[in-house]
Amino acid sequence: MLVGLVASAALALTACGGGASGAKGESAGPGAKAAQGGTLQVLANAAFSHLDPARGFDGGVNNFYRLIYRTLTTQGAAPGADGTKIVPDLATDTGKPSDGGKTWTFTLKDGLFFETGAPITSADVKWGVSRAWDPEIGIGSPYAKQLIEAPASYQGPYKSGDLATIATPDAKTIVFHLKKPYADFGSVVAQNTFTPVPKGQGAGNALDSKPIASGPYKVSEYKPGASLKVVRNDKWDKKTDDVRSANPDAFQWTFGLDPATIDERMIAGQGTDADAIAGTIQAASVARIQTPQLKERTMSGLGGCTTYMGLNTTKKPLDNVKVRQAINLAVNKQTVRDAVGGSTLAEIATSIQPPTIAGRVDYDPYPSPDHKGDVDGARKLLTEAGFANGFTMTLDTRAQPKMQAMAVAIQQALEPLKITVKINTIDTATYYEVIGTTSQQHDAAITGWCPDWPSGATFLPPLFDGRNITPKGNSNLAQLNDPGVNAKIDEIAKLTDVQAANKAYGELDKQIMALAPVVPLLYEKVLMLVGSNIGGAYLHDGFSGGIDLVSVGLKDAGK
Amino acid sequence: MTTSPALVEVEEAVPSSAPPTSGRRILTAVTRDKGALACLVFLAIVVLMAVAAPLITNLSGWGPYQFDSAAINSDLGGVPHGSLGGISGSHWFGVEPQNGRDLFARIVYGARVSITISLSATLLTGILGVVLGMLAGFYRGWVDQVISRLMDFLMAFPALIFMIAILSSLPSGNRPVLLVVVISAFGWPYLARVIRGQTMTLANREFVEAARASGAKDSQVVFREILPNLRGSIVVMTTLAIPGYIGTEAGLSFLGVGVSPPTASWGQMISSSVSWYSVDPMFFAIPGLFLFLTVLSLTVLGDKIRTLIDQGEAA
Repeated sequence: MLVGLVASAALALTACGGGASGAKGESAGPGAKAAQGGTLQVLANAAFSHLDPARGFDGGVNNFYRLIYRTLTTQGAAPGADGTKIVPDLATDTGKPSDGGKTWTFTLKDGLFFETGAPITSADVKWGVSRAWDPEIGIGSPYAKQLIEAPASYQGPYKSGDLATIATPDAKTIVFHLKKPYADFGSVVAQNTFTPVPKGQGAGNALDSKPIASGPYKVSEYKPGASLKVVRNDKWDKKTDDVRSANPDAFQWTFGLDPATIDERMIAGQGTDADAIAGTIQAASVARIQTPQLKERTMSGLGGCTTYMGLNTTKKPLDNVKVRQAINLAVNKQTVRDAVGGSTLAEIATSIQPPTIAGRVDYDPYPSPDHKGDVDGARKLLTEAGFANGFTMTLDTRAQPKMQAMAVAIQQALEPLKITVKINTIDTATYYEVIGTTSQQHDAAITGWCPDWPSGATFLPPLFDGRNITPKGNSNLAQLNDPGVNAKIDEIAKLTDVQAANKAYGELDKQIMALAPVVPLLYEKVLMLVGSNIGGAYLHDGFSGGIDLVSVGLKDAGK
Repeated sequence: MTTSPALVEVEEAVPSSAPPTSGRRILTAVTRDKGALACLVFLAIVVLMAVAAPLITNLSGWGPYQFDSAAINSDLGGVPHGSLGGISGSHWFGVEPQNGRDLFARIVYGARVSITISLSATLLTGILGVVLGMLAGFYRGWVDQVISRLMDFLMAFPALIFMIAILSSLPSGNRPVLLVVVISAFGWPYLARVIRGQTMTLANREFVEAARASGAKDSQVVFREILPNLRGSIVVMTTLAIPGYIGTEAGLSFLGVGVSPPTASWGQMISSSVSWYSVDPMFFAIPGLFLFLTVLSLTVLGDKIRTLIDQGEAA
């Protein structure tokens, strides 16, 4: 999914240092053991997109949903690889396939209740899942719709009624019939859309203003855009949940704070800010958190996404593979990284898939000393392609200082090749709409992608399958339609062994980069400062590197 | 030029302000005043910087868009190496955090943007203000009604909000031209009002009536009788308008609707320095100082010229 718009969870398997610096001190620092009780503060700039689990779908809300919602399975609650392992949640196991992986059966645990006190039955899970087909509600995770068999005219339970392809033979059993065999369906049911919703409820915007909790917390007060408070849900039974520690008695979000204000408050750490967590700090604050006292409160790790520049292969002269390769060679990734805040806020990207993806191969198809760009090599390729005198291209970028700084760095790097880069600044609100419309996108665009899945399955096909190019809402920004790549994607989709598929995606990454449809720029990192009273915190690889909310707590709840 | 003898006589009879407020007299008076002289020298330097920007940056060795990764610390978020924001022999004013662009070069090129935009806007408002103000004051009647109501409308408008709205909705074409047009569109009524009032007074003066009586055409009256007598006001109003326009340009760039990156602009530099104020105060101080000194110099100088012209008119 797109970064920022619908950035979503990376179900990654490699330990990439998530929470590494935070968890090292067991006795002190944010990794220390958390006590039960207290109110944990969260300072945030942007509010949650949606509270309705069928609508919200990005790293931020996915993490938050685990506090108030439960799904059939979920990701583990641990730093590193254990955090991205799929474990049972509402279900007793991660699903039993039959019919060659085309039918999946899950059994619910005993003692599951909504915040209302009503028991959670398989009919409620089915009701929740079938909401994904509603054209107005199902704007979140697309996987239920893509994988589960349904009549073409089906439009959710409120409009079309019952969905026959999800069977509930009894109150504890739910059976999904898929369109085609899918080996990894156990991970799919960890998506937000598999949250139970009491049968008959949740129409329209009801859940966005008043969610019906199945997890350890329930929403007690919500002022959209300003604040959100969740308190303990006494109907949730710890015995049924192996994942959530649920340490604090309450979480209090404050939205709409200026990023600079958040940094100042976190550095000062006064009053209730000692019990606070926040997002990644600004580049300008990096130099200020180098004291030992502040370093102890710092956590950093990879966000699990790739920031890249797509090169529109339908435009001249970018239709020439040598020109695209030359651009790949010439871009000075060092200056691009400095533009977003240097080595503490990003790592230089060489392959399309980020290091948090299983099966990813670490390679650099367009090497240059210190990633500073190989202008001579690029010039040679351009001369071979017949563009020794350069050309002019337009680069779309968001009206955001960080994105503009990256665009300027690229513009500067291509200047020696006599490539004139015109920077076209597009309003942040309409940016993805414009670049996703094939008739409106220009030669190049800077954007990012986060995987939704344990493998390259949710990374490479959406970005490079030529048959997925659509006039609107297109994610194949390069408009690459290569028969070799398409054939390979089909071939991998047929593999039933998830590990073999992941490995094949790693090789496909290389095959795609040989065509140079994109310039991988950065793997951005999270760098957070937490309050001095925060314990049990680690960065969760599955939630774009956010602090796992179901495990964090206060060291001293009485403070 | 055929000046009728009658006209010449009239001009001599009227206490004309032309000879005492001559350019030479003002220049001599300014050079005698130490403060005004300092302002003049500073402005000369800024104008020289703007005019000779490429030559100066050739001398300093760094272009305004050139990155210098070696001058910044990538591990600390891109803060410049060394104290005082990376001031050194090769970077005279230090470097910009996160990309290492030379601040001196950007100040020099930023002066170009500030000076070009403010002077163009001053010229355009000058022309608009004088022409429309004189038309309104000279012809009165419905012409005056239309122009005056338009001026009232523009002056009552929340100009800054409207400028931001226009500039952010317009496609990013030629930004500097857009800025000049938008600034001028809201700037001219202030000059036109004064000109209108003065034209009305002048039009009733004896020498104008004498000119009319001797058969001068409207255009002759306007260009030979009224306009020369407005010179003092025009000089004072426009001199005092330039710092205002420099400030407006910087303000709009600060708000993100000015010239688009990577073009160097003082307002934009101040805007991007805001988040760095505690780590790299020089990044804020240097463009801030230049903007402050330029506006101050122009204001002091404009004030001085006004005093001199007032004195001249009184004499």
